[in-house]
Amino acid sequence: MALTGLGLVVYVVFHMLGNLQLFEGPHALNSYAAFLRDMPILLWAARIGLLSMAGLHIGLALQLSIRNYRARPLEYTIHRYRQASIASRTMAISGMALLLFVGFHLLHLTAGVIDPAFADRRDLEGYRDVYGKVVHAFQNPFMVTLYLAGQLGLGLHLSHAIASSVQTMGFEHAALNRLLKSLGPVIGVIVVLGNVAIILAVFLGLVR
Amino acid sequence: MTAHVMKFTLKIWRQSGPNERGRFVTYEAQDVSPGMSFLEMLDGVNQRLLGTGEEPVAFEQDCREGICGSCSLVINGIPHGPDQGITTCQLYMRRFSDGAHITIEPWRAKAFPILKDLVVDRSALDRIMQAGGYVSVNTGGAVDGNVLLIGKDQAETAMDAASCIGCGACVAACKNASAMLFVAAKVSHLSTLPQGRPERARRVTAMLEAMDREGFGSCGNQYECEAVCPKNISTRFIAVLNREYLRAGIVESGRPSEPESPHAESS
Ligand code: HEM
Ligand code: SF4
Ligand code: FES
Repeated sequence: MALTGLGLVVYVVFHMLGNLQLFEGPHALNSYAAFLRDMPILLWAARIGLLSMAGLHIGLALQLSIRNYRARPLEYTIHRYRQASIASRTMAISGMALLLFVGFHLLHLTAGVIDPAFADRRDLEGYRDVYGKVVHAFQNPFMVTLYLAGQLGLGLHLSHAIASSVQTMGFEHAALNRLLKSLGPVIGVIVVLGNVAIILAVFLGLVR
Repeated sequence: MTAHVMKFTLKIWRQSGPNERGRFVTYEAQDVSPGMSFLEMLDGVNQRLLGTGEEPVAFEQDCREGICGSCSLVINGIPHGPDQGITTCQLYMRRFSDGAHITIEPWRAKAFPILKDLVVDRSALDRIMQAGGYVSVNTGGAVDGNVLLIGKDQAETAMDAASCIGCGACVAACKNASAMLFVAAKVSHLSTLPQGRPERARRVTAMLEAMDREGFGSCGNQYECEAVCPKNISTRFIAVLNREYLRAGIVESGRPSEPESPHAESS
């Protein structure tokens, strides 16, 4: 769970960083996209790696969730939590929301099934116009709402997931614990802010 | 000076046997003095029930001084009630406001089947202990004092973990009904001391396997256990447990898969 999850964390961090090139203009983003697509073997290796990691992660999550569900056949009439964070208690829900969002996101911006308008459009330099596609997407309030909701799910999931993985792997030290525990929320907020900046910059017309 | 007395409305889980359907029954607790413990307040309720010929409410208790781990009860949604770092027997009625409504439920977990009313069977924790929560010592004369020196830090850490009284509140509080904090306390206690070192790899594996067999949930690092533990066992011991388990995986991978039973007589 922790290892597959952390693999995915590394991916979302780099994915966010890559996307930030939107702010450097069409050339930067489109040539970056072309650079990735120019290495079909590497690209597919990464895709297969990611898919199997996500598959494993979801499989393990399902297994654990079923086990946990069965561990308390009759719920309390009143159950008050004093310390367990909301994010930590809703990992399965935020995870499911993420799964739906990732599915939509792939069909939308990767495969171009949902909005074929920009799927094969080229820019002036002949690159696939990823920039145009993103700008087009986030001028649509419906897409903006959906993607912001996806980021909310991601933020919730990450804010518990990272510190939790640190504990699962047995890292613990009296002097470092504050730092280790804040790792999740900090990385989570950075990733979400980066992604939200892209969405809002387009929506508010700062990038067009 | 008039003695101050309080009264409460209690909603208590009643269940006549392990396979019966349970339900909440409401009782009035009268003439409660603020200095009574929660269990003494229940004693009063049971006295009155006996007087009316109704079956008294079954609940577990023994020492009534917070050291044995027998008492339980989820009080208004929190195991061992609203105060941190104490057991139910150490909870006093002055903590509640006069006339309050109090809901009392048993520990709820598949691994802790209800026997009667508020009494649950916690022997699952004993079976985890039997799987590895001990050190094997050859009988004979006791070791002389101060032969085995243990550093202050080590002794303190081991004692922090060893203060777990096995009450099971951690399981009761956990959304997943996981026994991770209990197992972490026991494993950390023994693996910190030289007496526990020789069997540490076998112990952690056996205890975690026993925990899974008993039907506890898995640990999601939510840390609700720590907030209700009457002995304030720290969740850092869960990290220690995970470390022990990783270490066992590495150490044991080079060993025969069936370690010899520590109880086997050498012939
Ligand atoms: C971008 C995608 C995702 C990332 C970065 C991610 C990351 C993580 C990490 C690091 C953990 C912590 C493991 C631990 O506690 O040791 C975790 C736990 C978990 N994840 Fe994900 N995950 C992602 C997607 C998903 C999806 C799509 C699902 C579900 C369908 C999911 C469900 C879960 C569940 C149920 C847990 C267990 C929480 C617990 O132990 O209480 N995750 N995730
Ligand atoms: S860890 Fe704390 S809550 Fe859990 S059994 Fe031990 S004393 Fe009770
Ligand atoms: S009765 Fe012994 S700890 Fe409460």
